[in-house]
Amino acid sequence: MTAKARAATLILLALTLAACKREERATRLDPPVAEALDKVAVLPVGIGGRPPEVYPALGSPYRSNAYQLSQGKRLYEWFNCRGCHADGGGNTGPALLDGWWRYGPDAVSIFVSIRDGRPNGMPAFRDRLTTEQIWQLTGYIQSMGATAISVAAPSRSDRMQSRPAENRAPATFPAPR
Amino acid sequence: MSDERPPHDLRDTMLAEASLAHGLTRTWRTPAGLLGALSTVDHKIIGRRYIATAFVFLALGGILGLLMRWQLARPEARVIGPDLYNQIFTVHGTNMMFLFAVPVMEAFAVYLVPLMVGTRNIAFPRLNAFSYWVYLAGGILLWVAFILDTGPDVGWFAYVPLSGPQYAAGKRADIWAQMITFTEISALAVAVEIVVTVLKQRAPGMSLNRVPLFVWSMLVTSFVIILAMPAVMVASTALILDRLVGTHFFNPAEGGDVLLWQHLFWFFGHPEVYIIFIPAVGMISSMLPTFCRRPIFGYLPLVLAVVGTGILAFGLWVHHMFTTGLPRMGESFFTASSMAIAVPNGIQIFCWLATIWYGRPVLKTPMLMILAFFFTFIPGGLTGVMVASVPLDTQVHDTYFVVAHFHYVLVGGAVFPLIGAVYYWYPKFVGRMMSERIGRWVAGLLLVGFNLTFFPMHILGLQGMTRRIYAYPEEMGWGGMNLFVSLSAVVLAAGFLLFFIDVFRAARHGPEAGENPWGAATLEWATASPPPPYNFARIPVVRSANPLWDSPDSLPVATGLRVDRRELLVTSVTEARPEAREASPSDSIWPLIAAICTCSMLLASIFTPWAVVWGMIPVAAALTAWFWPKGSPEEEA
Repeated sequence: MTAKARAATLILLALTLAACKREERATRLDPPVAEALDKVAVLPVGIGGRPPEVYPALGSPYRSNAYQLSQGKRLYEWFNCRGCHADGGGNTGPALLDGWWRYGPDAVSIFVSIRDGRPNGMPAFRDRLTTEQIWQLTGYIQSMGATAISVAAPSRSDRMQSRPAENRAPATFPAPR
Repeated sequence: MSDERPPHDLRDTMLAEASLAHGLTRTWRTPAGLLGALSTVDHKIIGRRYIATAFVFLALGGILGLLMRWQLARPEARVIGPDLYNQIFTVHGTNMMFLFAVPVMEAFAVYLVPLMVGTRNIAFPRLNAFSYWVYLAGGILLWVAFILDTGPDVGWFAYVPLSGPQYAAGKRADIWAQMITFTEISALAVAVEIVVTVLKQRAPGMSLNRVPLFVWSMLVTSFVIILAMPAVMVASTALILDRLVGTHFFNPAEGGDVLLWQHLFWFFGHPEVYIIFIPAVGMISSMLPTFCRRPIFGYLPLVLAVVGTGILAFGLWVHHMFTTGLPRMGESFFTASSMAIAVPNGIQIFCWLATIWYGRPVLKTPMLMILAFFFTFIPGGLTGVMVASVPLDTQVHDTYFVVAHFHYVLVGGAVFPLIGAVYYWYPKFVGRMMSERIGRWVAGLLLVGFNLTFFPMHILGLQGMTRRIYAYPEEMGWGGMNLFVSLSAVVLAAGFLLFFIDVFRAARHGPEAGENPWGAATLEWATASPPPPYNFARIPVVRSANPLWDSPDSLPVATGLRVDRRELLVTSVTEARPEAREASPSDSIWPLIAAICTCSMLLASIFTPWAVVWGMIPVAAALTAWFWPKGSPEEEA
């Protein structure tokens, strides 16, 4: 095999793997994996920490996989995150698009916020969502406030539009009305 | 080359047979080598490529069908997971409709129509080359995406909202929508070529009432393509815009309409069925006289039936949408029109039966496939009348009854005649005969295998088995019949396998065919097998509908065409009176380059809308080079 052919094969392989990861749909997580995903190591203050070891082993899918992100978006709708955080711009709850995070921007902090709740109104979703679903929601919430558009980002919803879809523009703070 | 150039304006009247053939070959041949192969505009070479590619897709799609049957053979099977199963049935349907059935029919037309009407090349031959490359790219796009786990998984009809931005995550539905664009472009291009070839390039004397029926049916098909494809083009573009740009065509909350998708899709999708079926009936009408040894019975009713089918095809699309809650009046209208389509089809069947009745049928393989068509298509047509009625359709909608129905009409109605057509025209394409002995086995295996596979699906559907499910619980009691269906599918696959084996075997070992092995009547048999690059040394003149039967020894010819450049005869639309000598384009690499630019633009536009803007620049450059004026007159009256 010539060097050129080898390089082409490698590039093709890389593309293949990238596409596979982005498009893969793991519809059912093995129960032991799901359980291990719950084992986050949080700092004593409840902010920041280390994700469980199985998280990188899975390939950190919750921010880079199209299906997981769209599941997160669906859960955002179904569990009425909109009720307090609106479309990400914030209402009675804080905004999720402005790059300012009360309890830290990292995945573990957001995961813990959803799972255990936070003072002054954020309820705990531990008993309402599975660990996998909390991670999906975490990934979506991280991506909706990101400054770069991900290829895996979801498109617009079939509802009234309040801001450009996730795959259309870097998240912006909605103009005050 | 310039030193041995023949004198300017060399006409075929001045030359003897040998030097005429020599001169024409030098003018029309495709140069050897890779560049020659990539820049050829010979309709026979491109038609052959088209046919071969389409049959590769048939085989691939068939493998997917077998995979599905493997999974469904037992209840609760775990061969294929739900996600992969969704991709498989979508790619199977999309592949069979857009990459096999429509292109293969157009491919036969690309090869045969110029020969049947007695001209030297198809109209717009460079567009023809372009259309093949775009089609190939579309097929590669779909299959590479499928291998990369990005195969579309929303059904071959991609209904919104399921395929829309909210529910179809990732790029899978975009791949589907863009692949549609590829095949639309290539199909529209071929349709335009066929229309012009049929209307303006027929041999002198081939007035409209002497046009072979396959050519008639391809003319009607091409008009149906031209009128139907834009609907799905609009639909798929709107879908991509919704998904990528965030428009609201299909978003009811912002004033869009979900049902709009179904209307647009089926306004194309139903004529699509006839885009596949009408060429097949043309093939039957062209093959039947040869094997009944008499002219076709009822030429005029057959032509009118084909035209009528083409027109009625646009008035039935709503019968795919009976369960969407339409007004009663609309449902009644479309029930009536759906049943009305049985009238022209019935006329055709009776004309064919009369041809067989009054003829002396010779049971060669193509004829056997025609008989297989009768035994399969007619039951399919009957279930078609059944599902055309709203009450029954509401019961069997989205069940295996519908799966059985449309496989009966598509495989029975189009693939069986097509296999017959391959056996019939293979000697013309390759110069060798396929095996009659294997052919009988193929016909038998296909007919038996098909009916055993798909007939039980009617019953499964009536028992309530829904389409597109990847598994079913054992308690439903569908297990036995599904196992039977899956085993029968193996028989059907064996028939196709045997057919492919025969194709490859005959290419080397088949007996030499000669010009007219079947003793047929139409012009494509008046030249060598395979035909020389210029098709006919002299353009034939036609004096009847069955020229080779009515003047068996010597065909009158027209002379006066130039030999030193590619030239063909343009004739009037109805009477086919000679009007002008028209230059036919020479080989060019630009169609390939334009196709690469177009495909890159369309592919990149899945990821960013700006690709359309920037991608236009290379497309424009390639088209400019393609159409750069040559300074020579195009036609001489």
